[in-house]
Amino acid sequence: MSVFVAFVLAILNAMLMDNVVLSRFYGICSFIGVGNRVKSATSMGLAVTFVIVLATVVCWPIYTFLLVPAGIAYFDTVIYILVIASLVQAVALFIRRFSPSLYRGLGIYLPLITTNCAVLGVVQSNTDTGLDFLSSLANGVGTSLGYFLVIFLFACIREKFEGTNMPKAMKGVPIALVTAALLALSFYGLQGII
Amino acid sequence: MINFMVDFSTANWMGVLWCALIGVGLGLILGLLLFICGHFLEVKEDERIAAVEKMLPGYNCGSCGHAGCHEMAEAIVKGEVKKLSTCRPGKKDKNYDPIIAYLSEHPDKDGNYQIPEI
Repeated sequence: MSVFVAFVLAILNAMLMDNVVLSRFYGICSFIGVGNRVKSATSMGLAVTFVIVLATVVCWPIYTFLLVPAGIAYFDTVIYILVIASLVQAVALFIRRFSPSLYRGLGIYLPLITTNCAVLGVVQSNTDTGLDFLSSLANGVGTSLGYFLVIFLFACIREKFEGTNMPKAMKGVPIALVTAALLALSFYGLQGII
Repeated sequence: MINFMVDFSTANWMGVLWCALIGVGLGLILGLLLFICGHFLEVKEDERIAAVEKMLPGYNCGSCGHAGCHEMAEAIVKGEVKKLSTCRPGKKDKNYDPIIAYLSEHPDKDGNYQIPEI
């Protein structure tokens, strides 16, 4: 199997079969919090995608060429948090400069990408399972695309609920959680394709 | 008998040193990069916003309906706030009067005055 096919398959695997939100339950906070408007969900997905891919690219060399030779591989989590926090800060600066309305729309969830466990989870699992650079890049891209896809689908479904006449007890978060469960079930059906 | 004392004789002091060095080094590099980013991506704001924000109570309570004191100050400067008393923790002599005095001395770029009432 050529490298390219393996790369694409790894992306698809992380994106659909082993979806980060629906099967590993990472990043639920922003998933429920921002996933009620398609526009803000899309931009949140893009911001998280950017941060995850960049964090993977930056953290893998730091781990392999800095932490492992120095014999302090146990120190990785602290370093990852440092790198991710700086990345998120940089993204926030960019968004604030180039799209103030988006900055206001994302609100508190933008700095909260720092504590979005999807980011730390991907980077950590990459180095813990000893993937090489290309595989961890594929894992990062696939995971972030999976996050983007799921939060986008979720927001589309939730926007449809707004005009419906549903029981008062189900309005808001309860129906969102039921929707998330059904989405998880439907993604579970994709497991084992590859 | 459990010995709770940590045995420092087997500690890896070089590892601790490397942790400190790499941690501090990366922190400095990333901080410097962020400083440069922040310098180039600085958002130029109306300087009256910062001045008005200083005269607001600064609790960020949100009872005015804005996301925080900074957003409230932005709205005041733009003339979107008609009544300053929507800022509920504000006091007339401490907050409202200085803001009105300041805004009646500082017009916007086109020379218009946006002066809210109390």
